[in-house]
Amino acid sequence: MPTWVAFATSVASAPSAEPAFAVSAEVLAIEGDFDYGEYLASECTTCHQASGGNDGIPSIIGWENEDFVTAMHAYKQKHRENPVMQMIAGRLADDEIAALAVYFKSLAE
Amino acid sequence: MTLNRRSFIGTSAAVAAAVSAPMVKAGGHGKPRVVVVGGGAGGATAARYIAKDSKGEIDVTLIEPTRTYYTCFFSNLYLGGFKEISDIGHTYGNLAAAGINVVHDWAVGVDRDAKTVSLAGGGAVPYDKLILSPGIDFVDGAVEGWDLSAQNAMPHAYKAGSQSELLKAQLKAMPQGGTFAMVAPPNPFRCPPGPYERVSMVAHFLKNNNPTAKIIVADPKPKFSKMALFQEGWSKHYDGMIDWVGPDFGGDNVSVDPGAMTVTIDGEVNKVDVCNVIPAMKAGRIAELAGVTDGNWAPVNAVDMSTKADADIHVLGDAAAQGDMPKSGFSANSQAKVCAMAVRGALTGSKVFPAKFSNTCWSLIDTNDGIKVGASYKATDEKIAKVDGFISKTGESAELRQATYEESEGWYSGITADMFG
Repeated sequence: MPTWVAFATSVASAPSAEPAFAVSAEVLAIEGDFDYGEYLASECTTCHQASGGNDGIPSIIGWENEDFVTAMHAYKQKHRENPVMQMIAGRLADDEIAALAVYFKSLAE
Repeated sequence: MTLNRRSFIGTSAAVAAAVSAPMVKAGGHGKPRVVVVGGGAGGATAARYIAKDSKGEIDVTLIEPTRTYYTCFFSNLYLGGFKEISDIGHTYGNLAAAGINVVHDWAVGVDRDAKTVSLAGGGAVPYDKLILSPGIDFVDGAVEGWDLSAQNAMPHAYKAGSQSELLKAQLKAMPQGGTFAMVAPPNPFRCPPGPYERVSMVAHFLKNNNPTAKIIVADPKPKFSKMALFQEGWSKHYDGMIDWVGPDFGGDNVSVDPGAMTVTIDGEVNKVDVCNVIPAMKAGRIAELAGVTDGNWAPVNAVDMSTKADADIHVLGDAAAQGDMPKSGFSANSQAKVCAMAVRGALTGSKVFPAKFSNTCWSLIDTNDGIKVGASYKATDEKIAKVDGFISKTGESAELRQATYEESEGWYSGITADMFG
């Protein structure tokens, strides 16, 4: 598969804005630490491929910051289903979610 | 120019001094050296992350005897006909291309004073930090009548590869209406839901190919992982085919005769056609040879997976006695990342963040009927301690079960990419 197709696929799998769920502007404004995100991301890449490959589990690379942070907080607050993600997001602090967002966005660049 | 050992050491020391890198922690012999023994979910992951994240600052050697590694996870799906054997085989070319020195040999000894690992093929590999991830071996005499010489007549198929293929061949050759027996292991053992997913996959195969066949499971444990979910699934999909015999009915009093192909449960002799003996387990032998085991397993410190016996030897995965995590590929992969970060920090001064662990085990009961159990963990002074967890529920919709199975396929792609690059 050409790279651009893989990229397009991964971007397309990002969630659209979730009308029934929103996080505050303060939380969205938190600046993530890249190095911390890189370490925390190693917990995610057991399932979500760092290459953006997605066969059964969605790609999470290249998402816009707002989409990523909103999705993670939606899992954390059990607004989105899937017990694995609820558990993983459930113990991530706001700055950790921000760090992951920065790191995974960078993987598509 | 010819470098002898003395001039090589001198040159390396000069370079180290010139850049004033924290290589002093490696004992003044140039780049710090990490040796990883075992190329499964723990070892391959640790080797890959240390090499990737140290960006050439650490020499990484991976010692693994097999050139193609067959994952134990998903090997039951091969028995059930959902995967080909080639689907679960992986080679080490990508790790070698990433700069890891991949040595296909058996590690047969550890000299903790000289800090070297000796190889079956001769020679010794020096280390500053040693990571052992050798998986499991079997406890001698665990099942009366069975030892490794009987593994062709009565396969364990609990180290995937030729044993898995053997068990599949025996399953296919069963006479119509024949009997498949399993001797299940006592706790603790690799992959707690594994024997019961295997029973499900064998039943799936038999239902389609040998519908009057029977399965007997002799189990020394009164309870097993995801028990209610498996039992619900067995009633739903394989009603009357599976006879699970727990300790209340003698499942803990078992002997086998591989010559006669009999399994004796609480004094009752059963003639069987296939017998899958999964004996009691212990850490892979190199952990014992290194002197880091206490009993059957190697006790480790949760914060970095270093052994209680030797701070420069780490043990990952099934072989470790670490606390609350199940012995699973996911757990080994999770522990490997914590260990890799700690080892890199100790050798190069890179940042070390607080340890976090997680695990999820998916199992397949029948086509598109997937279930899962998982938990998150943290490091305490005492052990790896469970924080939170979840498990599939009985009575879930077919759609959710199918989604769970599809998720497990995604996980397989993810973890194998994470291990082998």
